[in-house]
Amino acid sequence: MHADWMWLEEVKGRERGELRTRRFEAAARARRAASLELSNRKEFATPHHGAVNSLQVDLTEGRYLLSGASDGSAAVFDVRSATEYEAGFIAKHGNILLVDKQHENGHKFAISAAVWYPVDTGLFVTASFDHFVKVWDTNSTQVVMDFKMPGKVYSAAMSPIATTHMLIATGSADVQVRLCDVASGAFTHTLSGHRDGIMSLEWSASSEWILMSGGCDGAIRFWDIRRAGCFRVLDQSRSQLGRRPPLLQNTNDKDHMDSLGPSPSTRSYSAQKRTSNSKKKSPDLRKSQNLTHGQMQQRLHPGLSSSQNRATAHYGAVTGLRTTTDGMYLLSSGSDSRLRLWDIDSGCNTLVNFEAMRLQTGKPLQLAVTEDPSLVFVPCMASIKAYNLWTGTTSQTFRGHYELVNCCYYSAQDQECRNFILAAMIGKFLCGLHQLQLLLKWKTMTSGTGFLQLMRITGVTKNSCTSVY
Amino acid sequence: MADRIEKKNGGSQALPLFRLRPPSPSFSHLVEPSSQWHTAAAEMSVWNYVVTAHKPTSVSHSCIGNFTSPNQLNLIIAKCTRIEIHLLTPQGLQPMLDVPIYGRIATIELFQPHNETQDFLFIATERYKFCVLQWDAEKSELLTRAMGDVSDRIGRPTDNGQIGIIDPDCRLIGLHLYDGLFKVIPFDNKGQLKEAFNIRLEELQVLDIKFLHGCVKPTIVVLYQDNKDARHVKTYEVALKDKDFVEGPWSQNNLDNGAGLLIPVPAPLGGVIIIGEETIVYCNANATFKAIPIKQSIIRAYGRVDPDGSRYLLGDNTGTLHLLVLTHERERVTGLKVEYLGETSIASSISYLDNGVVYVGSRFGDSQLIKLNLQADASGSFVELLERYVNLGPIVDFCVVDLDRQGQGQVVTCSGAFKDGSLRVVRNGIGINEQASVELQGIKGLWSLKSSFNDPYDMYLVVSFISETRFLAMNMEDELEETEIEGFDAQTQTLFCQNAINDLLIQVTANSVRLVSCTSRELVDRWNAPAGFSVNVASANASQVLLATGGGHLVYLEIKEAKLVEVKHAQLEHEISCLDLNPIGENPHFSSLAAVGMWTDISVRIFSLPDLELIRKENLGGEIVPRSVLLCTLEGVMYLLCALGDGNLFSFLLNACTGELTDRKKVSLGTQPISLRTFSSKGTTHVFASSDRPTVIYSSNKKLLYSNVNLKEVNHMCRFNTAAFPDSLAIAKESELSIGTIDDIQKLHIRTIPLNEQARRICHQEQSKTLAFCSFKYNQTSMEESETHFIRLLDHQTFEFLSTYPLDQYECGCSIISCSFSDDNNVYYCVGTAYVLPEENEPTKGRILVFAVEDGRLQLIVEKETKGAVYSLNAFNGKLLAAINQKIQLYKWMLREDGSHELQSECGHHGHILALYTQTRGDFIVVGDLMKSISLLVYKVAFNSLLDTLQQFYFLFQSLHWANYHCFSFGQHEESAIEERARDYNANWMTAVEMLDDEIYIGAENSYNLLTVRKNSDAATDDERARLEVVGEYHLGEFVNKFRHGSLVMRLPDSEMGQIPTVIFGTINGVIGIIASLPHDQYVFLEKLQSSLVKFIKGVGNLSHEQWRSFHNDKKTVEARNFLDGDLIESFLDLSRSKMEEVAKVVGVSVEELSRRVEELTRLH
Repeated sequence: MHADWMWLEEVKGRERGELRTRRFEAAARARRAASLELSNRKEFATPHHGAVNSLQVDLTEGRYLLSGASDGSAAVFDVRSATEYEAGFIAKHGNILLVDKQHENGHKFAISAAVWYPVDTGLFVTASFDHFVKVWDTNSTQVVMDFKMPGKVYSAAMSPIATTHMLIATGSADVQVRLCDVASGAFTHTLSGHRDGIMSLEWSASSEWILMSGGCDGAIRFWDIRRAGCFRVLDQSRSQLGRRPPLLQNTNDKDHMDSLGPSPSTRSYSAQKRTSNSKKKSPDLRKSQNLTHGQMQQRLHPGLSSSQNRATAHYGAVTGLRTTTDGMYLLSSGSDSRLRLWDIDSGCNTLVNFEAMRLQTGKPLQLAVTEDPSLVFVPCMASIKAYNLWTGTTSQTFRGHYELVNCCYYSAQDQECRNFILAAMIGKFLCGLHQLQLLLKWKTMTSGTGFLQLMRITGVTKNSCTSVY
Repeated sequence: MADRIEKKNGGSQALPLFRLRPPSPSFSHLVEPSSQWHTAAAEMSVWNYVVTAHKPTSVSHSCIGNFTSPNQLNLIIAKCTRIEIHLLTPQGLQPMLDVPIYGRIATIELFQPHNETQDFLFIATERYKFCVLQWDAEKSELLTRAMGDVSDRIGRPTDNGQIGIIDPDCRLIGLHLYDGLFKVIPFDNKGQLKEAFNIRLEELQVLDIKFLHGCVKPTIVVLYQDNKDARHVKTYEVALKDKDFVEGPWSQNNLDNGAGLLIPVPAPLGGVIIIGEETIVYCNANATFKAIPIKQSIIRAYGRVDPDGSRYLLGDNTGTLHLLVLTHERERVTGLKVEYLGETSIASSISYLDNGVVYVGSRFGDSQLIKLNLQADASGSFVELLERYVNLGPIVDFCVVDLDRQGQGQVVTCSGAFKDGSLRVVRNGIGINEQASVELQGIKGLWSLKSSFNDPYDMYLVVSFISETRFLAMNMEDELEETEIEGFDAQTQTLFCQNAINDLLIQVTANSVRLVSCTSRELVDRWNAPAGFSVNVASANASQVLLATGGGHLVYLEIKEAKLVEVKHAQLEHEISCLDLNPIGENPHFSSLAAVGMWTDISVRIFSLPDLELIRKENLGGEIVPRSVLLCTLEGVMYLLCALGDGNLFSFLLNACTGELTDRKKVSLGTQPISLRTFSSKGTTHVFASSDRPTVIYSSNKKLLYSNVNLKEVNHMCRFNTAAFPDSLAIAKESELSIGTIDDIQKLHIRTIPLNEQARRICHQEQSKTLAFCSFKYNQTSMEESETHFIRLLDHQTFEFLSTYPLDQYECGCSIISCSFSDDNNVYYCVGTAYVLPEENEPTKGRILVFAVEDGRLQLIVEKETKGAVYSLNAFNGKLLAAINQKIQLYKWMLREDGSHELQSECGHHGHILALYTQTRGDFIVVGDLMKSISLLVYKVAFNSLLDTLQQFYFLFQSLHWANYHCFSFGQHEESAIEERARDYNANWMTAVEMLDDEIYIGAENSYNLLTVRKNSDAATDDERARLEVVGEYHLGEFVNKFRHGSLVMRLPDSEMGQIPTVIFGTINGVIGIIASLPHDQYVFLEKLQSSLVKFIKGVGNLSHEQWRSFHNDKKTVEARNFLDGDLIESFLDLSRSKMEEVAKVVGVSVEELSRRVEELTRLH
């Protein structure tokens, strides 16, 4: 979009009010994201003796990086201030906190997910293959709470926007999503629907009640935790094409529908409905539907129609989920080596054809999205690829890791370390970059599964977009 | 380096403490606890008062409709945070209302709901508030019909500007605020707004949305850009019941790549005009497609001429006005036609008023009222300029010039953009332009006399001295020459002089009152003071004389048939200090009231005339004697003004019938006795208060305003309107008599120096009496667009162009300062530049040019190449500090062997994204980064290593015979460094920074906020010391381009306000504002006043003041703290008396005290 972006010209345009401030920011961010590069002046000294499975920078200050690794250890780093300097200018960031197997409450097996308490840095949560989810006090490095799960825990997530609940959503080898309440120390919900273990979980960015889960059964399910059952299953074959019938057809439909009964809404969930908790709309949701409109059947929850309930988002397991920060889109990665972009509102596959990639299949992947959102970062075997979110083209490939990459994190809060001494490099500013580099330095390891790759014909979605209903 | 090592040895780094808030679910994300004050006494600059000195003038929107009444046509103009309502009258535009809006106006729209006869105004603000306003004709104010919040959790705020549109049939309001969402606010049958809902819009990059006219269902047309940067339009019907879109009747793919504006065509033609950069296209539902090529231009403003939509005015980015004609046969469009009309300011909005009169609103230049003529003039233009409305925006840079060295700055701004660029000289107060002057010592009084009573011009100037009176008259050569008036007593001091009816002249001296004929100049009649008494003070009008002799005697004389008749005599208990009988009633020659000021009891009394009855006595309090009273009528309101010996002035509203005095107000104008005199300028009466701080008192909006005059000290003043010096004033200063004209009476005086190119950076050099600025001009040749950049030199007094230095091709001036260097007495202009090469996305080359002014020419002394754009320059301890791309670089000034100088880099600091703005103070440097907020750097010299270095190098130097040069100095060899001391870790995108004092720094950021940060020198841990603590946050709602220390008003050192440091800022919308750092107690008091005012002064559309002023950006929203909204506080003075009393009660002080304190504040600007 801004191929000819020139700082000086844009500053000039901004100061006379010609270039909108928001646009200035967006363009600057996009350019900086596009010019990400491996930093050679910043290093993270890893205390882990195994693959890093999870990374997150805290959401309040953007200063503390939390990592969880397959040796059962979790560590916190200060991204801002280096612990020492090598050769005077390479900033070395050592861990400022470490909990490993030696710790009295440490996890016995690999940590699959480590997340900050979204409100402040006083707590963090780790989930492990040892069937435990633990809540840690950061200052005392003690476990304040733990939850025993029925199987290996693959993922844990907390809603970054929640103001009325403190739930940790956990996905494990068991088929149920469990919600652990930090406030009470108890399980509050079990969400059933998946037919296999749950690899990835993501809270909605626009409603604190909406949770999305991706299972090994290839399904992505949407849950409203205030209601029973899942209210949507994403179907890779349902696209936006033809979602809005053309005018003429619609007028025919209208007559048809008018004869059927009062107020048959053609929409499934508008954003309005989801965010408002008006009760008068809920009966509407359960109303029997006009069969000519496929998507309406999705409102039949609990217990969506059996065919819907069987819909899949990916062939194989859903390994990663990430919403865009605007809360409008969901990205999913699957063991079919596909990345899909979903419109959350309608639940449609947007059919963005992400260029061929090879993804790890056997374990959860942590994807990252820029704030705009313009780029998605995907761990692709030993590299990280950045794709344009709207066109699906590869914009950059980050190489440098010697082994498989499991996770990446993009921090838009450009908290800079204090003593950054270099000039020539571009893109040195983003923590996203530090994370990329972090992964490099850590030489991420795989659990040893083969690089079996499920190849799919490109355009499979195209063929299947005709509605089956 | 040293600092770092020190730190390491200083002990292990303290581990940061993680914050833990109680895990209670009822926390709030938004409100942060306000921090505690540490050391109150030391910090002056924490508590800031922000006030607008010049309101926004850049016009973003305008619309036309029947707002105030069904049969009145109104023009409504949006100026960012203000709305102006004008009425169209045969005489022109008549302003009706000018109100602030608590928000930045994103869209305004007039509409007429069903069952209504007049239009409503819909306003949406950039922070997602909207309101619907109606005109209340009875109270002449705005009535809020509806308001609400349309923000969403979901979605990303659109980058292309918010869109707000109203269905032509008033079925719904449509808003595009977030990418991918279209918000609908439906109307019900009664025209009330219903609950809003969102509709998903698949098109992400929306450029424009409009409603189509004449559709059965509300239909929008969307202009958007796809992923491949191609542009298309698409239509959607809004299905209100289903809360969704239905694919619309038509769409059009692959339009002009520059298409950016949609113009819906009213029914019956219908359809839409799509304005591109090279083509204009008309489309409609019947698959009509008409296109016309145009000369490449970017058209962003349009105005519909005919209600049927067959003609439109289009304004492009070069200021050209075109007429677009839609030719049609009945209801079928047959073609398009574009005609050139002429040149205007670069239009941001065009409103066709009536009869060929058009309002052109502009953001880059002055807004205009133009008339479209039927015939072209000689230059082929159909446009005739009727009126210009001054616009200072965008103020890209400015400098404060204190020409008179009196502490009163005038601001010279780089205003406007493109061809409308200009310099504007903004000065507070009223200028007296001296025309003639003579040296005259000891003037005790000054009056002008006409040669006959009905002569429009003044003829004589009566100058009174301690023991004589001299008469000056205009001679045939229009020179002032001494003359004689035989009947007058020239051997004594004159107390008063006046033209009287029947062509007579009155002279009052200590012992007599003389009546002299104008024609014969001979004495006609005479009244002598009683023996043993002498006249102390006297006043007269055309037919009356009032005088006071010692002992409290008040004598009233009337002129009857060319005789002085003593009508009445009164004996008062105290001595009389001053009196006045200026006619304020119906009869201009006769007053029925007299005002008298008294010694001893310090009172002012009103007497009725001719019976000399005391009808009112007002005690002034205090111990200072009234020295001058004046009865006057300003804008039809009668006032009694009473000035004291200490420079204070009382004003009262006067009831002419009863003599009742109300609405007493006290202001301080100066420190010396004031004498009051009326004068008229351009047919309006004003009052001149002569004192050590001469002031013009005038009335605007029936409110008294005080504006100081650009003169130092005036003892006496009188009107002197002669044919040679029309509308002039005679002014007696300490040792001089001068005659001068007076500027237009307004608070801020603005002078325009048109450039026809855009000035970007300006600075003033006192020593050479010049101003220098960087500017550039767009050259639009047939295909290519290029810029040429210049450095230009101006005389600082006359603003005459002295010299121009053209920069290289692709070179662009980025910064300019005036500075001097150590070991060099000369003063230089330093200019920082950048080469903007087409293939680069960050400048890699620039220059620093050092100029000297020699004989009014810019002489290039030194040039130094840099590795990037020099965004900012600062004088720094006799050296030059430059911000070059990511780096801060310090240069020292070195003398070379041949006697010439060079800039040699000394040390630098990396670690910025783009160091755009820098300010320095002592050894400290504050950097405003593109996106990394504010950081504080410090310049350090490692002294301990200095001696070693010197010893080591000493022999080396000797052998190299370098030591012979006097450039051998400590500075050259010392190990110096610039290091970061602290920074603000918030991600603020800075737009300007300034240091308020050593500890507190102010910054403006990209989301229109202000913030202050404090250096934490005494913090306990390294971690805290390295952090600039945010101490103040405020949403200004304006994009600040520059802060500068200085003041627009004269600062009296002994007044309370004189001690308050102020910073001036300039914004894109043309606002000039003042930030004053208040003492803590005053801040606390005013904060209390502000919080009570919020309750009494409701925002237009019920928008909340608290929300408006809360610091807001993408990351956070927090309540404003340590900033006060001066505009709100000063609006206290506009309240009615009863409301003032209510406010005063809440605040807990008297109305007078409160008014005084607020009025004091208004003196800051």
